Amino acid sequence: MGIIQSIKNKVRQRSIHVCYVNVGSCNGCDIEILACLSPRYDIEQYGIYVHNNPREADILLITGAFCEQWEDKLADLWEMIPEPKAAITIGNCPVSGCTFNRRGSFVNPPVSKHIPVAASIPGCPPRPTEIIETILQLAPLVFKDYEEKK
Amino acid sequence: MKKTVDVSLPIGPVHPCFKEPARIKCETAGERVLSAEVELGYVKKGIERIMVGRPWQEVMFLAERICGICSVIHNMVFIETVERISNIDVPQRAAYLRVIVNELDRIQSHLLANYSYCYTIEHETLAMYLINLRETALDQLELITGARITCAYIIPGGVRFDLKQEDSLKLSSAMDKIEEDLSRFTAIFEGGPMISLRSKDVGILTRDDAIVSHAVGPTARASGLNADQRTNHPTYQKLGFKPVVMNSCDNYARVMMRFKEVFQSIELIRKCIKELPEGVIRGGGVVGEGEFTWIGEAPRGELTYHVKTDKYGRVIEIGIQTPSIMNIEACAHHMLKGVDSAADVTSTFISSDPCIACNER
Repeated sequence: MGIIQSIKNKVRQRSIHVCYVNVGSCNGCDIEILACLSPRYDIEQYGIYVHNNPREADILLITGAFCEQWEDKLADLWEMIPEPKAAITIGNCPVSGCTFNRRGSFVNPPVSKHIPVAASIPGCPPRPTEIIETILQLAPLVFKDYEEKK
Repeated sequence: MKKTVDVSLPIGPVHPCFKEPARIKCETAGERVLSAEVELGYVKKGIERIMVGRPWQEVMFLAERICGICSVIHNMVFIETVERISNIDVPQRAAYLRVIVNELDRIQSHLLANYSYCYTIEHETLAMYLINLRETALDQLELITGARITCAYIIPGGVRFDLKQEDSLKLSSAMDKIEEDLSRFTAIFEGGPMISLRSKDVGILTRDDAIVSHAVGPTARASGLNADQRTNHPTYQKLGFKPVVMNSCDNYARVMMRFKEVFQSIELIRKCIKELPEGVIRGGGVVGEGEFTWIGEAPRGELTYHVKTDKYGRVIEIGIQTPSIMNIEACAHHMLKGVDSAADVTSTFISSDPCIACNER
C-alpha cells in the first residue's frame, strides 16, 4: 500500500460527508436522519457530517418511494457527487414502495432501478442507531484502498 | 412605481435548510424580495387515490403515513371521522389517552419546527438543545405507544394500549424535565440579541393578510387570530382548553408561539394524568355506512377529513385538507414580500413550519 493511499485511508476514516435527498417519503425517515444529529446519537463524533450539498458528499442517503418528479433529477444528483461515492436507501419505501406501491399511485420504486444502491436500511422508519451503524459499516468497504482497488 | 427585477433567485429543491424538497422562486431587486412563489410537487404520491376502495383497516395506516412528523393527528382525525360515521362511542379513559398522545406529538413537532428555525438562523447551540429535548418527548411516545414515529395507537372505539401506573409516573417526570429545560431555552431565545435581530420585524404577516390567505394554526395565532380547532373537540372542552394568541405577527412571534404551546401541552398532559378516569380503553363497534366531515387541530393548523364509507366499512370517497397549504400560501404571498435579504427568505419560510409531505400526499 502506497503512502498516499495510507494517508487517504486515514483521512477518509474520520471524514464522511453525507447528503440526504427526499424522493417522496412521508418525512418519517427524514426526521430520523435529523435525530441522528442530536447530541443523544451525535453522528459527528464518528466523523460523519451532514452537509446536504451533493458536490461535497461521499454518501447519499435516499428516503422515499421515488415519485415521478425525480425521474431525471436523481440521476443528475448522483452524477454531481465526486468519486468515491455510495448510496444508502433508508426505510421500506425505496426498497419496495411500502404502503404507497399500489395501483394508481404516482411512485416508481425501487430506487435501485435508477441509481446503484450500496445498502438499504429497511424499517418504517428505521431507528437513528441503525442509520449510523449502516453508514459506519459501509464506509470502510467503499472508501478503504479505493485508488488501489481499481 | 415600475417594478424592477434584478435577479430571479431560485432556492431549492435540495437545500441544507429544508427538511423536504420545495422550491422558492424569488424576484429580487438587490437583495430585497419583491415577490415570491413556491413550487411544489416533488413528493406527490397520490395517497388519496390509493385510499379509495380500501377497507378502513388499511386506510388507517395510509392516513398515518401522510406525514411522518404529525402522524398521530392524522390517525386521530381519520378514526374520529369513522367513529362519527358509525356512531361508535369512545370510553372516557381512551379519550384522555388520545389527548395525551396527541399533545406529546405536538410537543415533538413544535420542538422540531423550532429546531429547524434556529438551525436556519445559524444558532446551532439552541438548535441542538431543542432537538435533544425532542428525544425526551419521543421516548415518552415510544413508552406509551410502542413506536417513535408511526404509532397507530388510536383505533375505532378506543386506543391500543393502556397507560400503566409506572408509565404515568415516568411521563410526569419527563414533563417536568421538558418544562424545566424548555424554560431555560425559551429564555435563551428571548434574550439573544442576534436572534432578535434576525427574527423581530422579519416576515410580517398582518392580521388582515392572515384572514385573506386563510392562515391556520400557530401561523394564524401569532398574527392575532383566535383559530384553534381544539376548542371544538369534546375532550379538550372538558379540559378547559384556551388557545394562546399573540399579536406581533413576525418570525419571532411564530417561534415564541410554538414555545408557549409546548408549555400549554405540558399542562394539558398533566391535567389528563391527574384526571385520568378508570375503566376500559376499548369499547367496540362496527364501522358502517355514512359520510362525515371532521376537523382536528394538527401541530400546524386545522386538518379536515371528509370520508364516505359503504356498509362493509370500505372507504369509497375521501378528501383531506392539510394545514400547510394555507400557511405556504400566506408565506409566499405575504411574509416573503419585502424581506430584506436572501438569508431571511429561508428563515421566514421555515418559521411558517411548512410540511411538504402533508401538502402533496
